[in-house]
Amino acid sequence: MAASDSDDLNLAHDDTADDDYFYLDDTDYDLHPPQASDSLDDDQLQGSDSRNDDDDDLLQSSDRHDDGDLDCDDNDDGDENALEEDDHDSPISGQNFSVLTEADIRHRIKDNIAEVSSVLSISKNEASSLLLHYNWSVNNIFDSWFADEKAAREKAGLFLEPLIESPDHGSSFCVICFEDYPCDGTKSTSCGHRYCNDCWSSYIKTAIADGPQSLLLTCPHPSCRAAVGEDMVGLFASEKEKNKYSSYIVMSYIESKKMIKWCPGPGCENAIDFVAGSENLDVSCLCSHSFCWNCTQDAHRPVDCETVTKWMSKNSSESGNVNYILAFTKPCPKCKRPIEKNMGCSHMTCRAPCLYEFCWLCLGDWNNHGTCNRFKGNPEEEKREKAKQYVMKYTHYFERWATNQNSMKKGAADLQKVQTEQIEVLSRIQAQPLAQISFVTEAWKQIIECRRVLAWTYAYGFYLPEECEAKRNLFEYLQGQAESGLERLHDCAEKELLSYLKDKISVEGFIEFRKKLTLLTRVTRNYFDNLVTALQNGLSDVNSGSSSVSKKRKSNWAAAAVNAAPVLDTNINDDSATAPAAAASAMEPWACAYCSYENQSSAANCAMCGRGSWTCDVCTYANSRTSATCAMCTEAPEP
Amino acid sequence: MIDFARVQKELQECSREKDSSGIRVSPKSDNLARLTGIIPGPLGTPYEGGSFEIDITLPDGYPFEPPKMKFVTKVWHPNISSQSGAICLDILKDQWSPALTLKTALLSVQALLSAPEPDDPQDAVVAQQYLREYQTFVGTARYWTESFAKASSLGVEEKVQRLVEMGFPDGLVRSTLEAVGGDENLALEKLLSS
Repeated sequence: MAASDSDDLNLAHDDTADDDYFYLDDTDYDLHPPQASDSLDDDQLQGSDSRNDDDDDLLQSSDRHDDGDLDCDDNDDGDENALEEDDHDSPISGQNFSVLTEADIRHRIKDNIAEVSSVLSISKNEASSLLLHYNWSVNNIFDSWFADEKAAREKAGLFLEPLIESPDHGSSFCVICFEDYPCDGTKSTSCGHRYCNDCWSSYIKTAIADGPQSLLLTCPHPSCRAAVGEDMVGLFASEKEKNKYSSYIVMSYIESKKMIKWCPGPGCENAIDFVAGSENLDVSCLCSHSFCWNCTQDAHRPVDCETVTKWMSKNSSESGNVNYILAFTKPCPKCKRPIEKNMGCSHMTCRAPCLYEFCWLCLGDWNNHGTCNRFKGNPEEEKREKAKQYVMKYTHYFERWATNQNSMKKGAADLQKVQTEQIEVLSRIQAQPLAQISFVTEAWKQIIECRRVLAWTYAYGFYLPEECEAKRNLFEYLQGQAESGLERLHDCAEKELLSYLKDKISVEGFIEFRKKLTLLTRVTRNYFDNLVTALQNGLSDVNSGSSSVSKKRKSNWAAAAVNAAPVLDTNINDDSATAPAAAASAMEPWACAYCSYENQSSAANCAMCGRGSWTCDVCTYANSRTSATCAMCTEAPEP
Repeated sequence: MIDFARVQKELQECSREKDSSGIRVSPKSDNLARLTGIIPGPLGTPYEGGSFEIDITLPDGYPFEPPKMKFVTKVWHPNISSQSGAICLDILKDQWSPALTLKTALLSVQALLSAPEPDDPQDAVVAQQYLREYQTFVGTARYWTESFAKASSLGVEEKVQRLVEMGFPDGLVRSTLEAVGGDENLALEKLLSS
């Protein structure tokens, strides 16, 4: 009664519930969901860390917050680069890289050729042959040229004198098509080997169709190394082939430069020129694709390239059936073929030729099977349980990673819509100048960036060792905070905005909305800054009580967990209450931020002026007693 | 399109100058894109005395693209597949030049027979043998030449066929024949005793 519908699974008949799992091999719990995303480029520089711009970032953002009010500042809309150019999240963009369009690249190439040509007093054609042979290094060309011009010429296949006598009258035999031609029907490059024009044309055409190696094309003569360069291509190739040739030149130029890479964005033809030594590895192209310079994966700050590589290859490697087999089948105790239960009873009969009969639950021989209800502790069972746990854990993280990735993409599309349509509609309906509405684009840019960061923190979380409980708690707490902040912001930008697009609401109402959205943007940004900072120092705050943001912020976070959420309504889940009371930093004496009185560690409020921790009236952030201004929005407390 | 005018001239040239190389090229049919080349095994090599048939297919881009060549005659050589006859030779790939001809290409193949390059093998098994047990290699290469590259080699196929008809597997028959130097009776004895 064995049924079968697959090559891998041997279905036998059986009994009981379906939710048993089996794990065949304990070498690696590599279980993937099938919707895996694309795999990695392999030009990953090994394991280097993506430590970033957070210092500047923090500086900048806090600077900016100092102006405190809700003016929508200096934002130029409509510019499609706005996302990269003026966004606070990449404060040193324009410094750590520059974007090169095809025209820019051609310009650089032209400059290089002109330089070599004028310094060495050779033709542009010869100069470009040299550059191609010397990997576009002008310095190397000069070095070897001035050391030994002949050798340099030879390397590039540029001969001063023809290698063979070339008759300039009479006829000439083309050794390609075996025909005689009058001399003016033939042509040679610097070596003097003559071929007829038709054969040259076919030769060059075939080479160009063959690919970029046509850049180093040599004379057809089997042992001749004379260069067939741009001039010959210009003479004998069609327009289409010339374009192809010139695009090979551009490719060759970019590939020769260590600090220039093509933008991996789909359909994008720009390249990114990276400033050597920059710490911030995230770059973004004019096409609005942002990626990590090091591994060319999508930008993944604050998670390092290594984790990203692991995560991406995990998502893409084999998967499907294997996982299913691992998690939901057991091997036949005799022949070891994987078996899935397809009937109710526990009496299993393996398929022919094995036909072994056994108990699904204890895998014991059915012939001697009495009962197996007593617990004896079964390592196999434990393994299976572990595998199941692992699958569930991975699914958990993958789902959140993928969802945030999608939200990010959707966000980018939404931003596009906001910039092209909604801004104007909003401005018209609410009778506000465009400048007063840029807070909406600001909010969306923040959302996109935060979704990106949040997605990668799930990859980070997956690899964070279970043993580091303190780190895990801190991480999950920060992530949870950031996430619920982001959800509030996203919800507000996505849903609340809609009503303002439909009808005119009172000016006050609109100002309220603007205030709220601006505030949520800023608060969310701060949450994420905290998260990014913490991940970038490897969650080291849990070890040393001393470092940078740590202590003050941490106590803030704990307090915020209790207070911040409810005031700003909307959909926050109550997990904030489970935040670690990590804030137990209150073990030292503390100075009151207002009257500077040294209070005892146990005192919750200042013994002198009576002030304690306080909730910011503007952003609802719960601040610690030691902060004089709000840690989130830098507002001072109401007197 | 193939430059048939050139192919015709090449063929004329080949038949005109019957030189010492012994290399011949002839069309398989009316279609000049399919040709057969014959190269004699170079003197002083295990291939001496053999006559090797090479299947030549001209690509559309000929002579700007290299002709496709492979051995039809089975040959034991590090740079030639003992299974498919594929040839590993640079001028038949990226080093091809339109100024080369079928004749010069076949000459290069002949030169390859004289000077194997085991470091850049097509057939790893042969290359290993060439490097580690040179004498065995020479023996096998000579046996293959005797069996497959000589006019009498038809006899070998007949022997193989007869033994196979007796119920022995083809591969085993060939290897046994090889081991006993082609003697059908010895091979049969060996097959029966194994």
